[in-house]
Amino acid sequence: MSVLDLPSPKQEEWRWADMAALQSAADAAPHATGVDPKSLFLDMPGPRLLFVDGAFEPAHSVPGRVKVERIASSGDHPLGRLAEGEGWALKLASEQAEETVQIAHLGTGGESHVPARIAMDEDAVASVVETYAGAGWANRLTHISLAKGARLMRSVRLLQAEGFVSLRDEAEIGEAASLVSIFLGMGGMGSRIDGALTLTGKGAFAEMGGALLTRGEQKQECAVAVRHQNVDGTSRQLWRAVAAGQSTASLAARVEVARDAQKTDGEQSLRGLLLKRTATVNLKPELEIFADDVKCAHGATVGELDKRALFYLESRGIPEARATALLTHAFVADALGRIGDAAVREAFAADAEAWLEAAL
Amino acid sequence: MLNITNLHATVADKPILKGLSLTVNAGEVHAIMGPNGAGKSTLGYVLGGRSGYEVTEGSVTFDGADLLELAPHERAAAGLFLGFQYPVEIPGISNVQFLREALNSQRRARGEAPLSGAEFLKIARAQADALGMDMEMLKRPVNVGFSGGEKKRNEMVQMGIIAPKFAVLDETDSGLDIDALRTVGDGINRIMRGADKAVLLITHYQRLLDYVRPDFVHVLSDGRITRSGGPELALALEAEGYGAVAA
Repeated sequence: MSVLDLPSPKQEEWRWADMAALQSAADAAPHATGVDPKSLFLDMPGPRLLFVDGAFEPAHSVPGRVKVERIASSGDHPLGRLAEGEGWALKLASEQAEETVQIAHLGTGGESHVPARIAMDEDAVASVVETYAGAGWANRLTHISLAKGARLMRSVRLLQAEGFVSLRDEAEIGEAASLVSIFLGMGGMGSRIDGALTLTGKGAFAEMGGALLTRGEQKQECAVAVRHQNVDGTSRQLWRAVAAGQSTASLAARVEVARDAQKTDGEQSLRGLLLKRTATVNLKPELEIFADDVKCAHGATVGELDKRALFYLESRGIPEARATALLTHAFVADALGRIGDAAVREAFAADAEAWLEAAL
Repeated sequence: MLNITNLHATVADKPILKGLSLTVNAGEVHAIMGPNGAGKSTLGYVLGGRSGYEVTEGSVTFDGADLLELAPHERAAAGLFLGFQYPVEIPGISNVQFLREALNSQRRARGEAPLSGAEFLKIARAQADALGMDMEMLKRPVNVGFSGGEKKRNEMVQMGIIAPKFAVLDETDSGLDIDALRTVGDGINRIMRGADKAVLLITHYQRLLDYVRPDFVHVLSDGRITRSGGPELALALEAEGYGAVAA
């Protein structure tokens, strides 16, 4: 694609986006990444699908109920609309439950665009874990629709050593349905995690959050909008950013409450931690409320590690670097703690721990 | 065990300690008393190695080694324990994780094998029981949601688990009711009384000294020790006030 087609930082929603990094990832020639595809899957039962440079790899996959099929372009998101063609679809009938579905994306360079559809009928339950590794520009559009009482837990790891990952989620959450999407952005790549969650049914629950860990001159960002369109909805956006070196992590989170969405309970917590004063964390919390009977809590803070806590740990015998790692891990722990499945949660926590050991 | 000679220290360029000298031998319990602002807590932080507390003159040796040359975690591994006046709350790290990490860091620094989870829990449970702290509290984040008294009790549990050679306890009695004071006093005696151990109790009031009988009492005033004596000095201070006794 040409530079002209990319969003411009002059547009408010894209002001922190690193489109230069995206372009250079797209232009990167394919090369061996040394990543073993097997290492991208957690040791858990359930369907597994591997995509290499956007193409399905049956040899490393056990798709089970997940279908690989052509999916037409949809929506008008500037990056998301590019994701069309072969993708994956998980469709669950009423009361069907799916074990953990694992989707791994391995890139070697260049650009890849993969669409995905998750459609769950009444009271269906599923857990999906996605892992991104390798290089190049991985661009994905995931469309999620949850019928009454359906529950989806999504856990997404961005582990690409280089390149760029752009994710666009579009979700409609029906009556008493629940969507929880937790992201861990910690590879060396640039990223843009972009979400639009709409609570269409009464008493729906939507959560999108996670942790962005940046170092070097890397830039990662999330831009999430949650729209409450019906009564009694609950939403949570809990994001943590840890920035080292000269890196930048940006969190933009928005809650929109429509006039009829009374009794909405929204909570937004954006917190940044600077490991070096040369790093940058941008936070942009936004609330747009048209209903009058709502509860929307929000908080946004950026700071350094608590020096008193650091000394407390050191005074008990823990070396400074380890004490810093422990406190930083604790800082992101509540965001990753939202992952419902203990094995997945522990795997993500171990990834974050490894990042801290390397970055500090 | 601890030798402090002509110690001068500043905080934000303001002189706080102004020529403090003190020797604590193995087997001894010393109490340092003094009015607010005398430099009691500064002494604790300087011994612990907190950044921002700058030593401008003098020396401190611990078992013959230059204490001031050591990083805070190295001082801990050498056997120094600092009990905090205001223990810090650390969300996201459990007491158990924190203390196992601390103890094993110290053990590794001393060339000893780290303890397994089960070995550690056995020690932690014994110390929690001895100090009347519910083991469930040790599974919670460090000091988060603890009352003032629970935080001080937790400091003693930590001291019991770490089993240091030398403890500097900064206002460990503040925030304790009379029953907790007795428990904490008993804990100090149990953990730290021994021929190869020593304690420096920093306190504002005499009441903890009813439970932990000091061998020596010192009055700290304006950054220096102005008077030293036996336990009777603490009683005189309590009766007559710092102004009359320390002058």
